Amino acid sequence: MKILILFLLAALPLTAAEPIRVSTFSTILTEIAEQVGGARVAVTGHVKPDVDPHEFEPKPTDMKTVGNAQLILLSAKHMEGYVGKLKEATGAKGRLVEVGNGFASLKLKDDHGHDHGDEDPHWWHSIANVGKAAKIVRDELSKVSPDDRAAFAENTAKYVAQLDALQKWVKAKVAELPRDQRKLVTSHDAFQYFAKEHGFTIYAIEGLSSSDQPSSKKVGEIIAAIRSQRVKAIFPESIQNPKVLTEITRETGAKVGNELYADGLGKGEAATFAGMYKHNVTAIVEALK
Amino acid sequence: MRGSPLLRALLAFLAILALGYPLRQVTRAEFQPAEAAAAAPAAAPKAVVLQVTFTTSPASFTVKHLGREVWAETNGAASVERKLEIPYPAEGVELQFAAAFPEGAPLTAVRLVLTDPDGEAHEKSLWGSGSLDEVVAFP
Repeated sequence: MKILILFLLAALPLTAAEPIRVSTFSTILTEIAEQVGGARVAVTGHVKPDVDPHEFEPKPTDMKTVGNAQLILLSAKHMEGYVGKLKEATGAKGRLVEVGNGFASLKLKDDHGHDHGDEDPHWWHSIANVGKAAKIVRDELSKVSPDDRAAFAENTAKYVAQLDALQKWVKAKVAELPRDQRKLVTSHDAFQYFAKEHGFTIYAIEGLSSSDQPSSKKVGEIIAAIRSQRVKAIFPESIQNPKVLTEITRETGAKVGNELYADGLGKGEAATFAGMYKHNVTAIVEALK
Repeated sequence: MRGSPLLRALLAFLAILALGYPLRQVTRAEFQPAEAAAAAPAAAPKAVVLQVTFTTSPASFTVKHLGREVWAETNGAASVERKLEIPYPAEGVELQFAAAFPEGAPLTAVRLVLTDPDGEAHEKSLWGSGSLDEVVAFP
């Protein structure tokens, strides 16, 4: 009996230290979960850097991991078409949180600024939204492990302070670009949140999803807009096929700016949210100046 | 029509080939290679007046426009005004305003009034202690 009690006592600290299993379906949420959870979480990022989340489909191995997760984080706003499958896989075991549903949506606009009704799911291009997402993740982790509430709060405060510093840097960098030159021509319509925060007008060649294909009429309209607005550069994206962009640049003479990260984190300097955001802002400002 | 089928096919091919160049020219008419997009002409500088008022005099402050310093002061005055010549598009301008306050200075309010080229005044406020560095949009 003594041996059994000793064994149980010895096992207790190990049980308490077991990390919280978190599954994420966005590279941005992977970073947030790691930053907020710190050493108390084991995060599985199912969507890897440089993978197109619009095209991602979970595999059986993903479903198995999700089935064992205590917290599942999704971008939401219709980004994950497989959300039903995930709910089935999790049963009632893990908390499934659609983080993006916590923020106001921005809608796809046409060239005249009219709403099209489709919401832009790329909410992380607003730094303020990423701060809100960190607080949502903090609260959800605290529900899973109330004893770690203080640590999660401290980690979140540090992360949000980094985001505030990033926001300051971004505002100063964007201020180098005259307000009448803030016209952004991109592959797909992923930058509505960025545009709203920093006073840009978007001319997207494709729709909200990277799989949307532009009609020849749409391409003609974009070419006309680039000419009339005297847009200096257009931007491919890290995951896109730049063929149409090449055609447009040939017709308009606009130069091709550096690739933008529209759908999440990448590799190298874009492996962190701050790095990705700085890369995008620098590419935009330097090309449009 | 006489002649071998091979010869007829060859003649037809040559005819199509001969038509190819003019056809291409016709179909490319609406997509002539564009001249390089004419860069937007740099907007001509216009006169604006910027008035800055502090509740606590700063040790120094600077104003940047498009990343370039357009005004720097170290005289410690609580209220200053300067006429600036800067491009002022219809969308307005953003100014980066940085100030350093003397050690121990309390939380300070800064009032910025920009009178645009049309004579319309736009007012903004900032708060800071120790130092501040903010981008302010007008209007």
